[in-house]
Amino acid sequence: MSERAMIELRGLSKRYGDALAADSVNLDIGVGEFFSLLGPSGCGKTTTLRMIAGFEEPTSGSVTLDGEDVTWVSPRRRKVNMVFQDYALFPHMTVAENVAFGLKLSKVPKAELRERVARIIASVRLEGYEGRRPAQLSGGQRQRVALARALVNEPAALLLDEPLGALDLKLRKEMQLELKAIQQRTGTTFVYVTHDQEEALTMSDRIAVMNGGRVEQVDDARTVYDRPATEFVADFIGTSNLLSLRVDRREGGTVAMDLGGGMSMVAPDPGEVERTTISITVRPEKVRVGVEPGPGWSCLRGRIAQNVFLGSVTQLIVELQTGEMLTVHELNDDEGATRLAPGAVVSVGWALAHSYPIGQGAPGGAVGPSRAGQAEVIA
Amino acid sequence: MEAATIAGAAVGRRPSRLTRLLRPLAFMTLPTATLIVLFLIPMGILFVYSFEYGPLTGSSGFTLTNFTGFLSEPLYGRIAWTTFQIATIAMLAQLLFAVPLAYVLAYKAGRFELPLLLALVLADELNPMVKIYAWRMLLGRDGLINEALLRIGLIDHPIDALLFSKFAVIVVLSTSYLTYTVIPIYASMKAVDAGLFEAALDLGAGWFTTFRRVLLPLIAPGIFIALLLVYVPLFTDFASPTLVGGTSGYMLGQVVADEVLQNGNLNGGAAMSILLLVGAALFSYVAYRLSRVKVES
Repeated sequence: MSERAMIELRGLSKRYGDALAADSVNLDIGVGEFFSLLGPSGCGKTTTLRMIAGFEEPTSGSVTLDGEDVTWVSPRRRKVNMVFQDYALFPHMTVAENVAFGLKLSKVPKAELRERVARIIASVRLEGYEGRRPAQLSGGQRQRVALARALVNEPAALLLDEPLGALDLKLRKEMQLELKAIQQRTGTTFVYVTHDQEEALTMSDRIAVMNGGRVEQVDDARTVYDRPATEFVADFIGTSNLLSLRVDRREGGTVAMDLGGGMSMVAPDPGEVERTTISITVRPEKVRVGVEPGPGWSCLRGRIAQNVFLGSVTQLIVELQTGEMLTVHELNDDEGATRLAPGAVVSVGWALAHSYPIGQGAPGGAVGPSRAGQAEVIA
Repeated sequence: MEAATIAGAAVGRRPSRLTRLLRPLAFMTLPTATLIVLFLIPMGILFVYSFEYGPLTGSSGFTLTNFTGFLSEPLYGRIAWTTFQIATIAMLAQLLFAVPLAYVLAYKAGRFELPLLLALVLADELNPMVKIYAWRMLLGRDGLINEALLRIGLIDHPIDALLFSKFAVIVVLSTSYLTYTVIPIYASMKAVDAGLFEAALDLGAGWFTTFRRVLLPLIAPGIFIALLLVYVPLFTDFASPTLVGGTSGYMLGQVVADEVLQNGNLNGGAAMSILLLVGAALFSYVAYRLSRVKVES
C-alpha cells in the first residue's frame, strides 16, 4: 500500500432529520487499494460511498480525492466512477454505446475512443456482445457492462455499491475473483460496499467494519477476523465465541481464570488493572477437542449440546463448565468429530495466542507475546 | 355432449361448440350496440350527405362535387395553412410546458405527486368556454395584460394584436387539453429508472446532455402518444378561434361549422368533415407508428 492516500475522509457525517446515517467517519484509502466498507443494512456504508461519489452532501466533514478537496464538487467533475447496485445501464443504447458514454462526453478522439472501448470490453470478457441491448443480456453480463462503463474512464477510484447482490451464489463467487483480478491488473483504487463478510474477506486489502454510522474497525482481513476490535465486529465477522473471563491471576502479560482440576482459561492481558472480568473472543476453528491442560493453553470441560454436519467442517456446540456456550469447528478430515454425540463430556482447549480480549481498541495494542516454546500454535 | 359424472350424479355438461362461440359475443352485445347507434350510424349519415346519395338527401344521386369544390378553393388552402401554423405552434408550446411539468411530477414531487396530478386534472375539467372567456379578459384592449403594461409604462397604447388574432388562438390552444399532453409523457417518465440520471451524472453528463441523450429517447413514445391525443383536437378546434381568433385567426374547424350552421350546406359540411377526418386518421396512424419505434440516442 502506497504512502499517499487516494481518498481521505475526515469527520464525515450525514444527518437525515434525527437520524445520523454516517457519524464522523475518518478513513484513509490508499492508492491501488481494494478497500471494503462492510456492515449490516443501515450501517452507513452506502451513505459514505455516495458522499465520496458526490451524490450526497455531507452534513459536516470533508472528502479529499487525490489531494484535492472535493466535498462540494458535483459528481460530474470528480475523477471517480460508480458501479451501481442495479447497474443503471441505458436501456436504449447498445453495450458499446453504454461503455462509450463517459468517454464521448470527455471529447476523446474517435480512434482512441474505439480502441479503449474495445479493450475494456475484451477485459471484461464481453467480446461479441457490443451490439446487444441490456435487455438481451444476463445479470452477470449486465454487471460486467456496468463495470466496463465505469472503468473505461480510467478513474482515480472506482466505487462499487454491492454490485454482486443480484447474482446467484456460484456466479457471485466467480465475479469476486474476476473483480479482484481486474483491480490488480489495472491498479485502480476500489472502494467496495457490501454486507457479505465473506465477500469482503475474500477480496479486500483492508476492510472498514461499520455499524450505526460509525467505523468500528479498519484493518486487513486477517486482523479483522483474528483480532476483532469490538463485540460487534467479532460477532459480525464469521462465527465468534464471546466468553467471560474472571481475572483470578495476572502474570507475565496474561490473565487467567482458574476453574479447578487443572482447568483454566487464559488470555492476553488487556492491561486494564481495574477490570475484574473481561470478555474474550476465540474463533471456532481454533478450538481443539480432547486437549490436556498445559501452560499457554486454555482448557475447560464441557458437554456436547449439538453436533451439526456442515460439509467440510463439523460444528459442535459445547456447554462449558462455566455455563457459557462455545462453538467449535472441527475439520472433517477424519471421522473423529462425528463420534462426538450430544451429551458426551469432552475437554476443549485453545492456545493463548488464539484468544483475544474484546473492546481494547487498536490492533496489536493489547496482544502480548505468547508463551514461548510450550504453546503449540495451530496455524 | 358428454356428461361428467361423479359417483353417479351428473355434475356438468360440456358446452356445445355453438355455445362456446357465442358466449364471448354475448358480452359484446351492449358495447357493440352502443357503438353502432352513437358512432357508426352518425358517421354513416355523414358519408351519405357528403356524397349526396339520392334516397336520403332528396337530390339527384351520387356526386363528388362537395369534395372537389372544397379541395379546389384556394381560400380553404390559405385557411388550412393558417390552421396548420396555429395548431403546430400551440402543440410545440404545450410540449414545452408539459415536459418540465411531467418531469416534476414524475421525479421531484415526492408525496405531492398525487395531489398535483389531481390538481392538473381538475384544472382541465373546467369548462373550456369559461377558460376562453377568461383569456378574452386577459388579452383584450382593456384587459389585464394591457392594463399592467400601461401602468408599468412599457407601452403607450394598448396592444390590439393580443386579442382577435392568430396569437390569441395560439395562446388559448397552448393550454387546451394540456392534461392529455402531460399524462402520456408523465407515464413514460415513470417507466424510466431514476437511477439512470445518477449514472449519467457520474459519467460526466450535464442536465441538458442527460435530457437529450438519456431521457428524451426513452420518453419519445410518450410524446408521440401526446401528439396523437391532442394535435387533432387542436387542429380541428372551432370554439377558440371563433371567440378569440378574429378574422386573421380563422381555422378549418370554423369553416365546417360556418358551412353547416350559417350556409345550411349540410352536404358541403359533411364532405369537409370527412376530409378532416381522413387527414386526422392519417396523422394519428403516423404518430402511432412512430410511438412504437425505439428511438436511438
